[in-house]
Amino acid sequence: MTITPVTKHLTQERINCYADASGDHNPIHVDEAYAKATPLGGTIAHGMLVLASISEMMAAELGEDWLRYGKLRVRFKGPTMSGDTVTASAQETANGNYVVEVRNQDGDGVISGTAEIAPDA
Amino acid sequence: MAAPAHPLITDLPKGYEFDIGAIDVTQDGVERYLAAIEDTNAVYNETGLAPPVAVAALALTQLLEMIDLPDGTLHIGQEIEMHGGVPIGAQLSMRGWIAQRSVRQGAVISVIEFALTLDGKGDPALTGRTTVMVQGATA
Repeated sequence: MTITPVTKHLTQERINCYADASGDHNPIHVDEAYAKATPLGGTIAHGMLVLASISEMMAAELGEDWLRYGKLRVRFKGPTMSGDTVTASAQETANGNYVVEVRNQDGDGVISGTAEIAPDA
Repeated sequence: MAAPAHPLITDLPKGYEFDIGAIDVTQDGVERYLAAIEDTNAVYNETGLAPPVAVAALALTQLLEMIDLPDGTLHIGQEIEMHGGVPIGAQLSMRGWIAQRSVRQGAVISVIEFALTLDGKGDPALTGRTTVMVQGATA
């Protein structure tokens, strides 16, 4: 079974809003002049902001069970630049867990991992 | 030269415990978080439960404020596990510690684990595990 994907356009305004909401104002996320001088060449979205798209997708599918007993395990594979559009998707496995990933508009994977409802739920 | 305000993550050994206070998961904070990520699902209000990643992000922000992260620090892994849910409006006690520290090809990899407990109850409501890598760090 495939879960309905979640797509987000991560503008700098969106990243700034997230910085305010989370309290994480690291300049690599919010200071464009600073970020431009780094090897990344520009600001990047917070990893937890990108990860939120997976949790949003799982909450839409699993509802309260996800909020009470959800379990996520992911690797951040690459940065999400300001202005990127990312899509979170999931595929259910034979044992009832989910393989999850987030890809950007170029198809590059930025997050991969697994999601499940804890077995003792 | 002034000493850094906080220890460098690369200097923290396995077993290091962070001295962390309480975290408030307020209604206003959750609403601002949901607006920021553009998540309009009604399940949070209907159940009174906070989004798992919101709570983990709050915890992580608090942890990372207690250490210095060199330029080029990468957040390379994240685990979050819910154990019954975190009610919106809850105050959580937090523990955090360095669970692993290793050096690979000049990069220091540190794993921070944290546990958030509803005040007055012993079992964690959320546990997490954050992996960061500092490239070019001296071991």
